[in-house]
Amino acid sequence: MSQPMVFWISAAILTVGATLLVLLPLTRRVKPSASDSQYDVEVYRDQLLELDADEQRGLIDHVSSEQARAEIGRRLLKSAKAVEVDRTSIRPQKSALREWLTLATVIAIPLISWGIYTKTGSPDLPAQPLAERLSRPPDQSTPAELIARAEAHLTLNPDDGQGWEVLAPIYLRIGRPADAITAFQNAIRLNGDTATRQLGLGQAMTAAADGKVTPEAEAVFKHALELDPKDMRPQFFIIDGWMQQGRLTEARDLIRKLLVEAPADVPWRDQAQAALTRLDQEISGDAPDVSNVEKTGPDASQVEAAAGMSSQDRAEMIETMVAGLAEKLKQSPDDVEGWERLVRSYVVLNRPNDAIEALGRAKLVLSADKVAQLDAVAKDLGLEDEPGTPEKN
Amino acid sequence: MTVELGHFALVLALALSIVQAVLPVLGARRNDERMMAVAVPAAFTVFALIALSFVALTTAYVLSDFSVQNVFENSHSQKPLLYKFTGVWGNHEGSMLLWVLILSFFSALVAFFGNNLPPALKANVLGVQAWIGSAFLLFIVATSNPFTRINPAPIEGQDLNPILQDIGLAIHPPMLYLGYVGFSVCFSFAVAALIDGRIDAAWARWVRPWALTAWLFLTGGIAMGSYWAYYELGWGGWWFWDPVENASFMPWLAGTALLHSALVMEKRSALKIWTILLAILTFSLSLLGTFLVRSGVLTSVHTFATDPGRGLFILAILVLFIGGSLALFAWRAQTLEPGGLFQPISREGALVFNNLFLTTAAATVLIGTLYPLLLESLTGEKISVGAPFFNLTFGPLMLPLLAAVPFGPLLAWKRGDILAVAQRLMAAFFIALIAVGLVLYQTSASGVLAAFGIGLAVWLMLGAITDLVLKTGFGKTSASTAFQRLVGLPRSVFGTTLAHFALGVTLLGIVAVSTFATESVLVMKPGDTIAAGGYTLRFDRTESVKSSNYTEDQGHFTVLNSSGTEVTVLLSSKRFFPVRKMQTTEAGIKTFWFSQLYVSLGDAAKDGGVVVRVWWKPLVTLIWLGGVAMMGGGCLSLFDRRLRIGAPAKAKLSKARATA
Repeated sequence: MSQPMVFWISAAILTVGATLLVLLPLTRRVKPSASDSQYDVEVYRDQLLELDADEQRGLIDHVSSEQARAEIGRRLLKSAKAVEVDRTSIRPQKSALREWLTLATVIAIPLISWGIYTKTGSPDLPAQPLAERLSRPPDQSTPAELIARAEAHLTLNPDDGQGWEVLAPIYLRIGRPADAITAFQNAIRLNGDTATRQLGLGQAMTAAADGKVTPEAEAVFKHALELDPKDMRPQFFIIDGWMQQGRLTEARDLIRKLLVEAPADVPWRDQAQAALTRLDQEISGDAPDVSNVEKTGPDASQVEAAAGMSSQDRAEMIETMVAGLAEKLKQSPDDVEGWERLVRSYVVLNRPNDAIEALGRAKLVLSADKVAQLDAVAKDLGLEDEPGTPEKN
Repeated sequence: MTVELGHFALVLALALSIVQAVLPVLGARRNDERMMAVAVPAAFTVFALIALSFVALTTAYVLSDFSVQNVFENSHSQKPLLYKFTGVWGNHEGSMLLWVLILSFFSALVAFFGNNLPPALKANVLGVQAWIGSAFLLFIVATSNPFTRINPAPIEGQDLNPILQDIGLAIHPPMLYLGYVGFSVCFSFAVAALIDGRIDAAWARWVRPWALTAWLFLTGGIAMGSYWAYYELGWGGWWFWDPVENASFMPWLAGTALLHSALVMEKRSALKIWTILLAILTFSLSLLGTFLVRSGVLTSVHTFATDPGRGLFILAILVLFIGGSLALFAWRAQTLEPGGLFQPISREGALVFNNLFLTTAAATVLIGTLYPLLLESLTGEKISVGAPFFNLTFGPLMLPLLAAVPFGPLLAWKRGDILAVAQRLMAAFFIALIAVGLVLYQTSASGVLAAFGIGLAVWLMLGAITDLVLKTGFGKTSASTAFQRLVGLPRSVFGTTLAHFALGVTLLGIVAVSTFATESVLVMKPGDTIAAGGYTLRFDRTESVKSSNYTEDQGHFTVLNSSGTEVTVLLSSKRFFPVRKMQTTEAGIKTFWFSQLYVSLGDAAKDGGVVVRVWWKPLVTLIWLGGVAMMGGGCLSLFDRRLRIGAPAKAKLSKARATA
């Protein structure tokens, strides 16, 4: 039997059972109970007994106890009289209203419960305990589930260097730079110090700092450069960091040095040359200072550096920036333009699943009008709404 | 499927609740036994369904089912198991589910223990309970559904607010809710009695165990909340007059008055208006607390999500129930028969005095809590009403009340002899005076306030004991007779004594810690020492430790006594939770008898040291021990055999019918 079937049958049993439980007293003859005043009589009888006990214990003197006895006696008498009056009043066994209400109840219980549930519930959605999701065959898992599995594996085997090695760039790509830092550090610790790993670590640190090349990251990039002096990428990051810090002269000098040392036909020569010219102007005061401009996207140097890279390097750099954006949105999610950029970037990077996931996450945090704005963008980009989009039920 | 079944059970509970809200009440009006009889099975079924729903949500938490939005937003797969359970109510939706679960639990209890209740009263009480239940179930389904799903499910949750990741979350909210919601039963009894028009001594007898139950849980809940704030927030304070605290304190004050008032009504059939009104007010204040905390009017750790829609919904519930019950009260109050007469100086008079002061105190707290909110919504001006306001208003109101407490139980019903009572309390009074003198001597007369505070505390404690001594007749009869009497005393006598004694204990703690506590803030480097409360604290080192879902900077300290030997070590830390990017403090606390050494870690200083705050808190634990003892007193009274009244016996019934 399919899961939804089991659910509907269980729900039906619950409904019928609950309805029966409240209906039974309505249709069954109830043994006539004592008059309501009889219950009062019991209380006052109890009180009289207590009074006797208290007097015996010496908790109350004789005069007060007599007074109290008289008072309770009066209440007792009054209630006993009421019992007699009650006895003459009849309790109806037949009642049209009751029959009508019985019918209404039988209809109302399923009507209300099923009516509301079909509007608010998701009967077809099975429960998804994490452990079960992680034990599914890999080909049925989502990328996120695969990552979680790898994480679970690494929690148990923290010394599996190969695992960290695989996971580290993935973390960086999906916008979890903090985890990427840990993963790169572990990979370096277990698999040895290489330029690629150091470069990844530096990128992760940069992404974690919202694209800012921190002094720590700079040190890492310098170390990567020591390990592989021919690799241009760490140098681009170092230059970027210097420009962020306003150390324009140093940046210019390094670019100049790179241009001098590089063969004439490197693909990034033109861009680097342009950057050099711009820097020269800035240093001489002809152009606005780029170092203090608040960054909303990649800055000039990043674009130039990207243009000068091989296509693989460029993709990596773009991904670092996208990861940085995703991380930023995690912290300040109420930013519809940011989400828009992120979704667009994923589409450009040909990562539709991530785009849809980002769309879903955005919808959870944004207000309705902003969601509408985002939906329009998604439609433009050709992202289908169902079935991948998380929906609020 | 479990999740969806829980969702369905919740909706079904709403449907049944509506039936329970309508049929029994109509039945009571038409004297129709069959319709009234629906109340009991309906109450049981609603409880069972909500419990099923709660279990389903808990299962989703424990199994980290992130396809449930509520679980995704408030849990994390790496969270320790205990917090997966407690995290269920560590958020708005889940805590509202707990609220209705406890409400339906109390209804089920009334249904179970209600054999001694007149059928019409029982039907009406359960009916009114179902009105409240239906309103809140509708609120949950419409605005705060904990079973909302996400598809596709995220792989990891957003974790629980780190401040709530504490054993306190396992105890404080359930206990507080048992108190808050427990008073709904008193409210339902009051409204039922007003509908029915039968308000007499017997009614008070039936309502008293419920008032006691709710009161003792509320007492425990508040005490626990206070201790939690004390050790978790790292400020070393135990009460902040925070609006959320006040929201729980107001029903406590009104509930305490209700407890005493119901006693008078039961014994003398007097103070009916007081008792009914207090029953309505106490629960109204509970509802007000729910509104303040849940609507987003206030911002605090208790405000999980702010959503104006929810606020309006709760406000509507609030207006409906408070307004409706007060209107009913105004309409019916004139029909109440006057009860027993009494002189101003009498047990009844003392309890009226008690009611007056407690309700005025509650009103004071209410003003202090609402005034800033009203002012801000009207003029936009932000003011904060803090400790100074409450010290000037609430404090003076409490002083005469506390001073009068020992007199109450000693006064006779109807007309008391205050001089005779004063004579009997002479011993307690003189010992209290000696205590005042001793403190003045010790502090070289600088601690006048402390001296009188401690004197008052001693007076309260000894006054409570005096009552017990007089009741057993120690000194007047032989020791064995007195002991026999002591054993034979009803438990409620011990309950009263213990609760009044505990009041003194709490007061002693409050006075001691407010006047004699010492605080030092300093930068410490490893090896540095600081003196606190006769001990010396040495800072040893810091250490970073990683745990399942947080990293922790631990400060290790050693406590040395006056002769320089090591007594114990102390650990104070700061935790960082990466998922929420939040930091919490875990104060290092060592208890020496009733006093505590409290160490809180601040930020790292530039030169390698750490900012450390060190408090010596003399007798601070008495504040909460007093609360626990008050709970104990409530329990003792609750288990007094005399609160168990039999239903009219079957034999008597059939005999009565035979003669009719």
